[in-house]
Amino acid sequence: MAVPSGRGENVQKQIQQDWVNREYIEIITISIKKITDFLNSFDLSCRSKLASLNEKLTILERKIDYLEACVTKGETLT
Amino acid sequence: MAGTDRVSMNDALSNVEVLDELPLPDEQPCIEAQPCSVVYQANFDTNFEDRNGFVTGIAKYIEEATVHANLNELLDEGQEHAVMLYTWRCCSRAIPQPKSNEQPNRVEIYEKTVEVLAPEVNKLLNFMYFQRKAIDRFSQEVKRLCHTEKRKDFVSEAYLLTLGKFINMFAVLDELKNMKSSVKNDYSTYRRAAQFLKVMSDSQTLQESQNLSMFLATQNKIRDTVKENLEKVPGYEELLADVVNICVHMFESKMYLTPSEKHMLVKVMGFGLFLMDSDLCNINKLDQKKKLRLDKIDRIFKNLEVVPLFGDMQIAPFNYIKRSKHFDASKWPLSSSQTSSPQADLMVHLPQIREDHVKYISELARYSNEVTTTYKECGSDMENKETADLALRGLQLLSEWTSVVTELYSWKLLHPTDHHQNKECPKEAEEYERATRYNYTDEEKFALIEVIAMIKGLQVLMARMETVFTDAIRRNIYAELQDFVQIILREPLRKAIKNKKDLIRSIIMSVRETCADWPRGVDPNQDPALKGKKDPESGFNLKVPRRNVGPSSTQLYMVRTMLECLISEKSGGKKTLRKDIDGTYLVQIDQFHKTSFFWNYLLSFSEYLQKCCDLSQLWYREFYLEMTMGRRINKCTVRHHHNEECNDLITMEKRIQFPIDMSMPWILTDHILKTKEPSMMEYVLYPLDLYNDSALYALTIFRKQFLYDEVEAEVNLCFDQFVYKLSEQIFGYYKQLAASIFLDKRFRVECSAVGAYLLPYPRANRYETLLKQRHVQLLGRSIDLNKLITQRINADMQKSLDLAISKFEAGDITGVVELDGLLQVNRLCHKLLSKWLALDDFDSMYREANHNVLAPYGRITLHVFWELNYDFLPNYVYNAATNRFTKYRGILFSQAVSRDRPPQMSHHYLWGTKQLNMAYTTQYSQYSGFVGPQHFHTMCKLLGYQGIAVVMEELLKIVKSLIQGSLLQFTKTLMEEAMPKICKLPRYDYGSPGVLEYYHAQLNDIVQYPDARTELFHNFREFGNIILFCLLMEQALSQEEVCDLLQAAPFQNILPRPFCKEGEKLEAKQKRLEAKYQALQIVPNIEKLGTAKQAVISREGDLLTRERLCCGLSIFEVVLNRLRSFLDDPVWVGPPPANGVMNIDECTEFHRLWSALQFVYCIPVSENELTVEEMFGEGLHWAGCTMIVLLGQQRRFEALDFCYHILRVQRVDMKDQVIKRIDLKRMCDRIRRFQVLNSQIFAILNKFLKSGENDELSVEHVRCFPPPIHPSLSSQQHYHAPDHVRP
Repeated sequence: MAVPSGRGENVQKQIQQDWVNREYIEIITISIKKITDFLNSFDLSCRSKLASLNEKLTILERKIDYLEACVTKGETLT
Repeated sequence: MAGTDRVSMNDALSNVEVLDELPLPDEQPCIEAQPCSVVYQANFDTNFEDRNGFVTGIAKYIEEATVHANLNELLDEGQEHAVMLYTWRCCSRAIPQPKSNEQPNRVEIYEKTVEVLAPEVNKLLNFMYFQRKAIDRFSQEVKRLCHTEKRKDFVSEAYLLTLGKFINMFAVLDELKNMKSSVKNDYSTYRRAAQFLKVMSDSQTLQESQNLSMFLATQNKIRDTVKENLEKVPGYEELLADVVNICVHMFESKMYLTPSEKHMLVKVMGFGLFLMDSDLCNINKLDQKKKLRLDKIDRIFKNLEVVPLFGDMQIAPFNYIKRSKHFDASKWPLSSSQTSSPQADLMVHLPQIREDHVKYISELARYSNEVTTTYKECGSDMENKETADLALRGLQLLSEWTSVVTELYSWKLLHPTDHHQNKECPKEAEEYERATRYNYTDEEKFALIEVIAMIKGLQVLMARMETVFTDAIRRNIYAELQDFVQIILREPLRKAIKNKKDLIRSIIMSVRETCADWPRGVDPNQDPALKGKKDPESGFNLKVPRRNVGPSSTQLYMVRTMLECLISEKSGGKKTLRKDIDGTYLVQIDQFHKTSFFWNYLLSFSEYLQKCCDLSQLWYREFYLEMTMGRRINKCTVRHHHNEECNDLITMEKRIQFPIDMSMPWILTDHILKTKEPSMMEYVLYPLDLYNDSALYALTIFRKQFLYDEVEAEVNLCFDQFVYKLSEQIFGYYKQLAASIFLDKRFRVECSAVGAYLLPYPRANRYETLLKQRHVQLLGRSIDLNKLITQRINADMQKSLDLAISKFEAGDITGVVELDGLLQVNRLCHKLLSKWLALDDFDSMYREANHNVLAPYGRITLHVFWELNYDFLPNYVYNAATNRFTKYRGILFSQAVSRDRPPQMSHHYLWGTKQLNMAYTTQYSQYSGFVGPQHFHTMCKLLGYQGIAVVMEELLKIVKSLIQGSLLQFTKTLMEEAMPKICKLPRYDYGSPGVLEYYHAQLNDIVQYPDARTELFHNFREFGNIILFCLLMEQALSQEEVCDLLQAAPFQNILPRPFCKEGEKLEAKQKRLEAKYQALQIVPNIEKLGTAKQAVISREGDLLTRERLCCGLSIFEVVLNRLRSFLDDPVWVGPPPANGVMNIDECTEFHRLWSALQFVYCIPVSENELTVEEMFGEGLHWAGCTMIVLLGQQRRFEALDFCYHILRVQRVDMKDQVIKRIDLKRMCDRIRRFQVLNSQIFAILNKFLKSGENDELSVEHVRCFPPPIHPSLSSQQHYHAPDHVRP
């Protein structure tokens, strides 16, 4: 089971290189994960903001509807 | 970034780092399960594909890896078949069957049947082939391992576990095949059609078909085949005993992570023992030989009586034992006993779960704060280890809780309730209903919700920390692995080299070479340990590097297996390798082997986090669906003569899914909504997340569109229900709160003193958190809960106002006070809700409900007027002593009033609850039955200037028609027909009885006039009521205005005069006060800060407010003047006096008629007759007096009135007798009373009419006539002041 040392050294180098490569892949993976996390919190934050914007617009729209009704006294504005 | 630009790696990475610093606020409290739109899971499991890279490892284990890879593939395939079986939906039921052999389209039906079912049947064929292949493969493996030589050798933990997984797979597939009858039915349908069409022509196909048919029809086929095959292998039971033992060992030392792994271990124990027990082998004997520990297994089986399989299917592992050949109940005391398993009782586990949760959450919070507040490149080895441990513990806790939930659910499914055990369960309840809906107590439901909330909540927290966790995990694993390999293994290696133990040396070398990450790329050759020598005195300097990466899955497998063979009790040779290794090293290696067991899980943290929290199976109910299918028969509900077609209809209506009331996620959600438990309210979104789990499972594991569609359909239904129930509840809660705040405090105290049941304030509930939710994730959609609730509550609010007005419309005018109260409570409720919801403006809502947006007058104004006109004016009677109008209930002079029925409404649209409704109804009933100042005040508030103006204008029209209509008519008639032309003032000499008799004779026609006491007085009363209404409205309005002004005062720099002690200067004090409240003053502030236009507006507003009461505008005065203009007919004043000055005895003017009427109503009535006061009240007098004043006849009336004259004379002679059945004394008392009343009325009227005039000035316009002198007195120049004529 003993391996000739020349080949053994070669394999050892390969395995060491494998560690380096996998660490590199890991770094990329971590970064992608971070980007995903960012996208998710960006999504939530945007939704929250859009919701409050939507709310404001809805209020305005309803107010306009109401005022339009007040002003027109039955006829519709065109 | 342009496409051509090249970004360096470092730049890219720092760009990613920067992302972290962007502030992304999300203002809603997190009360839902992990919300994520994008999920990223990296999977580095290679399934041993890279095994050849590790040539430095021991060849045997590389070969074994190949076997593992193949077996794993088979296991995956088996999983697919299991899914196929579980999700099988009966097709044959939907396929029409030819009714007879003569049916013409018979062939077509069969052809279609074959066409449709062929792909499905193909799946079944593949399943049969697969199980054959898998059994063969398994038997081969067992045979190979059971070879006598091989038996002595060590079999790795991983290998045994894989065999266990196979056993598990067989058990699962067999169980599924047994349970699914639809699979068999579908196949026989296909077979019938295929045989008819002779599709299967060749003998081989026919044989296969026969085989499949047999395979499907034979119960326990897989189980029996496996057993049969195994029994051919000599010594297989020993290998299986190893498998069972390792499962027991792993179960007991908690060497598993996900719930399904835990359940797998238990299934393997049960099925393994069943396979072992045969003619050749008796498990009880193995137990005696200590080759098995049945007592341990007994305990495990008792603790886990029922193991979940898929959704609503489960296996009871003990049943395998019971079915085995040598079953001996005495060996299984616990499992055979009737006591219920701890699995069945969630409440036993709850305290421990709570404690663990609190402990873990606090630890996590502390750690999370530390991470966010301090910046570190990477922690120390120690810190990384602690973090990794924390992560592992979290996963284990989550897994434990999840298994508690799923195990309880499975147990409950297998032990459905019935109407004896649960009183709420109806007799005819369905199977599934008895297993879910009625099978949990309230307490259990709450506990379930709580545990689910803990699972989902912790999942969110851990997922947030994922990057921190995984970073620490990788660094920790790397460090531990390299330290172990590069440092710790040096000592046993040195020893092995020194002692020439070649095998051990080569194994340790292999381990080192397989995974060591040497700092210089190769192992340090000069290491003395490699030569078996001691380190130099100064020590051998070894620097182990650090990286942020874990070993690959194959690498880890190789290292662990090789180390395992070092410490194993068995080996191929005569003695084990253990004996040649020192105890301390053995302990270290063993420790490493144990710790590294969990590394695979930790390295795929996000995958296992999800698996540990997966509660998807709580929704799936394929088994119950199949069982119920067809049994639930809905009758044809259409009303007609039932015929053949109805039978078809019935089959069409067969249940394809259960209603949501039987579905666990909804049962739990609804339980919170139903009980309104405040401590649970914030958890309400967690049970809904179960749908997310189920949908994900349908998409990724089951991969079945129809299951996803069904989940989706249920979610749509449930979420609608959820929003509907929740918003109704929230509205009710806030309405109740508002009404409780508004309720009179003393009333409340008195209620409780009397013992009347009145709820205190509603129990505070945590709706706020729910109302803040603006993005709830459900099946990948993001839902703005706040918006949905706002929409509904807006509508509720509107309806509430609408109903308040409708309620008013359904009652008389006294309801105006209650209406005002209702509006105020609604306003308060609106204010409370507006803190969380963007509701419409209350005033706009009110105007809309009042129909006052498009039309100038609202419903309230119209109804007030309607009530005034039809009820108040004709039926109410005024009394100045109480300042109230009361309803006269005797004779009605108008038609009875008919109103709309009050609308039916639930409590929360009124005052909130039944109790509050009762309390308020009692309170407001005090205001019914009369109309007084309170009513006028509220009418003022509700009508406003515009409404008051409208009402009064309309009332004036009524007056006009009265005056110029019936009153005029009556006057003309009476003046012509009934009134004497001349009626003198008899002299005092006649005495009062004489005077009375004279007038009675003179006025007999009037007294006898039939309509005088009824129709005429009624008309005058209506007229008088209108006058009084206008007067009282103005009074109320003035008070309101004064209040307004007082409230406006501080903003207009009108401050109350401060109190001054001696020596203090008033002016200085006032200046100080002015300065103090400067910020309140509107005009100067607007001038300073606003535009010129705004300044002008504010100044004008200020002026308007200041002068509102100053110029003495009076409504009543205007009303009187308008009334005067109606009195334009000459009959009111008669022809000008013949003497050119005034009429004395002639009866031509209105006041003479009124005197006659006054004579009529002054006649006292007997006890049983009705008095005019009772019937018409003071409105009558107001009408008469007003007309007299407006006609300018007041002085003449006062001087010449008949009754007054009687009174004057009676005062002198003080006589009392009965004349013409009239009691003189009583008559005079009445006259006196009315005289006082009349003069009061005159005084009030004159106050208003002459408000603008100066008394002295008016005197100038009066032509003064000298009093006529009686011839007898002409010699005496005596002046008798006219004012003193009256007594």
